Amino acid sequence: MALPFIRRGPRPEPDPPLAGPRPLIELVGVGKVYPNGKAALQDVDLVLGEGEFVFLVGPSGAGKSTLLRLLIRDELPTSGRVLIDGQDVARVPGRGVPRLRRRIGVVFQDFKLLPTRTVHDNVAFALEVTGTPRRAIAPAVDRALSVVGLTGQARQLPSTLSGGELQRTAIARALVHEPRLIMADEPTGNLDPLISWEIIQLLLRINELGVTVLMATHNADVVTALRRRVVALEEGRIVRDEVGGYHRED
Amino acid sequence: MIVALIGFPRFLAFSLGRAWQGFWRNALMSLAATATMVLMLVLLAGFWLVQAGVGAGLSYVEEKVEVVADLRDVRGAEDAVTVAAMELETRLMADPAVRSVHFVSKEEALARFRARLAERNQADLTGFLDRNPLPASLEVKLVDPRRFESVVETLRGADEVVEQVIEVKRLVEQLTTVTGVLRTGGAILLLLVGFTVLFIVVNTIRLAVVARSAEIEIMRLVGASDAFIRWPFIFEGALVGLAGAVVALGLLALAAGPLSDLMYGFFRVLPLELGTLTRDVTILVLATGVGLGTLGAWISVRSYLGR
Repeated sequence: MALPFIRRGPRPEPDPPLAGPRPLIELVGVGKVYPNGKAALQDVDLVLGEGEFVFLVGPSGAGKSTLLRLLIRDELPTSGRVLIDGQDVARVPGRGVPRLRRRIGVVFQDFKLLPTRTVHDNVAFALEVTGTPRRAIAPAVDRALSVVGLTGQARQLPSTLSGGELQRTAIARALVHEPRLIMADEPTGNLDPLISWEIIQLLLRINELGVTVLMATHNADVVTALRRRVVALEEGRIVRDEVGGYHRED
Repeated sequence: MIVALIGFPRFLAFSLGRAWQGFWRNALMSLAATATMVLMLVLLAGFWLVQAGVGAGLSYVEEKVEVVADLRDVRGAEDAVTVAAMELETRLMADPAVRSVHFVSKEEALARFRARLAERNQADLTGFLDRNPLPASLEVKLVDPRRFESVVETLRGADEVVEQVIEVKRLVEQLTTVTGVLRTGGAILLLLVGFTVLFIVVNTIRLAVVARSAEIEIMRLVGASDAFIRWPFIFEGALVGLAGAVVALGLLALAAGPLSDLMYGFFRVLPLELGTLTRDVTILVLATGVGLGTLGAWISVRSYLGR
């Protein structure tokens, strides 16, 4: 239970400078077997370049969530290596994990917002709990809220918001640390088609700002219509990785 | 390092703020924990005070004298008794078990009695007596306080001069046995209450952790460090302990007036320094309260917040 102000060991290395199209995420021969013996991922090789927009598709239980959990080091691979920015996540020491997670914004199907805090405070929470100076919080929150178009709703509580607004709040929270990667796990799973499109448009716009986006989804319409890179998982293996639709186009 | 130090007040403000919110979020449970903490600390302080009083009393009596022989007080034969006493003193000094012998004359005994009366602000009526009623005595100190039999035997043997032998040591031993039993009983009781308090604190903090489980999950996802997640709960436990200690000290302060009157009357002659005793009890109560609260929270955080 280390205090944050006592720094042990060498200083963490600064983030490498941004370069051209280079791998932001690399999975090399990754396998994940849970203690109950279930093999969630097998021999997965995947490279995500800086600035890409990638869909992760596949039936439930195919290993999508496990893959996302490996990226935020919520789980460790049982074989192979997961590299973020060239850094092997398995080698990140326990106290380095928070720093790693601040570089990755996560968005979930169920939003994971705090019901007693306003939109502004929900976004600010991500900064408060990571020790951001108070005077830096409000400007950063305002910036994130303007990106998702919720400046007008900043003082509202989540209970007064629509589903789309809730998800946009969650996206603003994911953005507030200015991450290199946004990972969205079924972000449109709880939303009707029209609102889903709004959220996708928002993620595309964030991608255009230079943020890499990895989105796990079941939403075949969206995937097929956008014709972006699609990585398909089945029974823990990558069965397809190409630009195209949700289903195999023979 | 400089940046890290600048970050500390922010961390502290955040953690203390969250601890305060957490305390009041589940006010009933927090207050129950505080109340049991108060009970335990008042018990502890009371136990400590009685121990200090009895202990000081016993050691005072023990140190002062170990065997006392009151000498026969025969009108007109005072000088003869004194001579016999001197002789007895020489015999006693020959005993290797004896460290020192002090002859207290009738005059010295009266002077001591008057001094005691003056100390208690009681009227000295001895001037109205036609004769000093107090006997002379021999006060014997021993090399080893447990080896008093031979001395007592010698004194009893000289019954032409010795009126009665008071075995202060034996008296003290009996008292020590009684206080020993009280001490053991008190310690066991304190231990039991202490465990109850700890259990309640652990449970209170567990509820606080459960109440914040959604927040904790979000904190982990957005990259909050462990310290930001855990220390608010540790501070919350410490807060329960501190609140308990402050209330307990308040109750003790209220009771201090009547209590010290009682103590003063009871242990009047004792070299009991109330200043240091107050300081000791304050430190004891604060340290125990905050320590137990922190320990309970730490146990809870370790068991219910594992990564």
